[in-house]
Amino acid sequence: MDHTLEKILARVQKPGRYVGGEYNAVQKDKASVDCRFAFCFPDTYEIGMSNLGLRILYGVMNEMPGVWCERVFAPWGDMEAELRQAGLPLYALESGDPIAGFDFIGFSLGYEMAYTNVLNMLDLAGLPLRADQRPGLTPIVVAGGTSMYNPEPLAPFVDIVSLGEGEEVTVEMIQLYRQAKAEGWSKEEYLRKAAQIPGLYVPSLYDVTYHDDGTIAAITPREGAPAKVTKRLITDMDQSYYPVKTIVPSTEVTQDRVMLELFRGCIRGCRFCQAGFVYRPVRNRNQELLVEYGIQACQDSGYQDMTLMSLSSSDYPDLLPLCDGLLAWCEPHKVNLALPSLRADNFSMNLMEKLQRGGRKSGLTFAPEAGSQRLRDAINKNVTEEDLLSSCRTAFSGGWNGVKLYFMLGLPTETDEDVLGIADLANKVYQVWRESTPNRSRGVRITVSTSCFVPKSHTPFQWEGQNTQEEYLRKVTLLREHLRNRSITYNWHDPETSFLEAVLSRGDRRLADAIEEAWRHGAKFDSWSEYFHLQTWLDAFQTCGLDPAFYANRVREKDEILPWHVISDGVKESYLWKERQAAYDGVITPDCRVKCSGCGANKLCEGGVCHG
Amino acid sequence: MADQRILFAKEGTARYISHLDLMHTMERAFLRAGITIRHTAGFHPHPYVSIPLPLPLFFSSQCELMEFGLVEGSTVEALPEQMNRVLPAGIRVLDCYEGGLPFRKLAFVRYDITLEFDGDLAQQAGDAFRELVGRESFVVKKRSKKAKTGFTEVDVIPLIRAVEAVEPQGDVLRLTLVLGAQNPGLNPDVLLQGFKGEYPQFPILYSACHRREILDENGQVYR
Repeated sequence: MDHTLEKILARVQKPGRYVGGEYNAVQKDKASVDCRFAFCFPDTYEIGMSNLGLRILYGVMNEMPGVWCERVFAPWGDMEAELRQAGLPLYALESGDPIAGFDFIGFSLGYEMAYTNVLNMLDLAGLPLRADQRPGLTPIVVAGGTSMYNPEPLAPFVDIVSLGEGEEVTVEMIQLYRQAKAEGWSKEEYLRKAAQIPGLYVPSLYDVTYHDDGTIAAITPREGAPAKVTKRLITDMDQSYYPVKTIVPSTEVTQDRVMLELFRGCIRGCRFCQAGFVYRPVRNRNQELLVEYGIQACQDSGYQDMTLMSLSSSDYPDLLPLCDGLLAWCEPHKVNLALPSLRADNFSMNLMEKLQRGGRKSGLTFAPEAGSQRLRDAINKNVTEEDLLSSCRTAFSGGWNGVKLYFMLGLPTETDEDVLGIADLANKVYQVWRESTPNRSRGVRITVSTSCFVPKSHTPFQWEGQNTQEEYLRKVTLLREHLRNRSITYNWHDPETSFLEAVLSRGDRRLADAIEEAWRHGAKFDSWSEYFHLQTWLDAFQTCGLDPAFYANRVREKDEILPWHVISDGVKESYLWKERQAAYDGVITPDCRVKCSGCGANKLCEGGVCHG
Repeated sequence: MADQRILFAKEGTARYISHLDLMHTMERAFLRAGITIRHTAGFHPHPYVSIPLPLPLFFSSQCELMEFGLVEGSTVEALPEQMNRVLPAGIRVLDCYEGGLPFRKLAFVRYDITLEFDGDLAQQAGDAFRELVGRESFVVKKRSKKAKTGFTEVDVIPLIRAVEAVEPQGDVLRLTLVLGAQNPGLNPDVLLQGFKGEYPQFPILYSACHRREILDENGQVYR
């Protein structure tokens, strides 16, 4: 290990996250490698190592002969200051080599609040921030992940955006690069050809013009770049890569357990949910295969905890046999099975009892999202009050004495009546507890949490304006006044981060200047309250002549060209508009298994048929 | 059946694994190796692993001990190789054996300590260090979780069993010290803190502490 680094590590918090060396971390011989990929996660080690996407792509790339994928995380402030002072560039954990000399710098972007960390990491690596200031073929800066369904605010910084699931397209992108390197192509030539690979969006090949009112006039592709870039999709989950053999951190991380991915996509179609649209259609993994993967992953890692992951696990068709199959092995091996993401309407007490195995019955979490049936219908949440109350009744009578309820404030069509519906629902849950608990003296904890709704691209609410912070806080106060029960705790999410998220998530590429300006004034780790200062951002918007309300609070017209116009997740824009109309009409759309609503995502599958 | 012990090294990147994380790492490594170890009795059974002398963060060692109960999946002969296939970088099992001396008989630790100084200060710092450890008594203020003030005072001199080497080489000062292991033990960092307070004119730029051997009360190798 570099001695300067050793000295630094003696002075920083949690140095274990900066040294690598974990079990299953991949070491390769540099001499046998012709393509080096720095997989950058723009958050801390603890958060990044909890990301299943990183583990999948790390495995996929390292299975390619001649390719070495290494990990890079955002250093915490103390470490960053030390690196900068010592003049040490950002390095990859496996080799300890500076990443500036790698072939690819790849960022995984799950949320918009990590954008400043992308800039910070490029800068720490010693690379110019803007793609046009990096003229050589090497390194290519690529970004993927859910927030890249609107990549425009980052467009000037990255060379390529990878849309959708990366297992196949990453391999294709690397192979083309190897050809480019061998044949001595220029960066422009490589990018031109990369743009022809389905799922790869090259922002520099699109010109954007604007109307006087700030809306987009046209997005024009150049040099043969496609007018629409459609996300990539793994159609057969049983053939797709699952990281059975994966890195086991030697220090504690956020999700320190086996993560078993049941399926991708979601049948529900909640109108506020970006994940519910961009991951369409639903693709299940075979139940027997999952049992096999789960057991192997426990054996290889030594983990004693396993989480079943998906967007809505109780919608997995074979959930009971799956749990039985896993428990048959997990119980004698003392492995705990956790099952988050359950819905209140098909929640099975039987299943919960099985998983708890007489352990602590601490808390249950449900997300009704809205307080009134009218609003739940408008957002297509399709959970009824009776669903929720009967689930709570079963839980309370089974000995549970805590429940958390998650809601959003500021959903489209929301009125004060809907807000008060949240208090009403919480009070009803309390009454249900009084009626059904076997032991009233133990008391109950009902936690109500609200966050400020952020309209996202590629959803039926992509045209909506976000509530202003003042309006959100008015609703918080209103709700607080109606939650006067000692057994009910009310937490509300601060609206400042939600506001910035709303700006960035539907922003255009003019925002890039503001991101850079905010970063130059110290913005980083914006999802961490220790670091987040909205004022830094407001100043940056002002300096760049941009109005954040234009992005966050403005209602868009139907025919407006949205910044992500070129990007397609397979769902038709006309379908999204129809769903928006349905929201205003209070009409629900049944889930995909009940009736296909013709969103268009089926066309991504072979033969145009979903198999969810 | 009596319990077993392993002797292991913890070096390189493994120096940054804390004691608590090391326990988890070891428990997981046993499972990866397909080795079943004894669980504690009681309401919340958990795998029994015991490390008599936790190694401070940043220290390296070639003589760490851990006790556990081997139930099935290995033998004391096969275990080191089985474990070494599944351990993270820097942790290596050197030996595995039955039983061993009671933990209370573990009395001293031999440390190799490397101190870095600016320019030619190492020579003078060596003289200063000899002077310090030659004193009748040297009381150092040390952090304490128990004391209300957050500090306690400890006389380090009785806890130093032997000063085996004080060797300046260029800008480095190498020390070999035999220090009390437990009840009470002396963490070399406490001694170095005391040195810093006493001799601020010789600032230590970097220190590396390595456990070379563990000893019983007679100064014999402890296992």
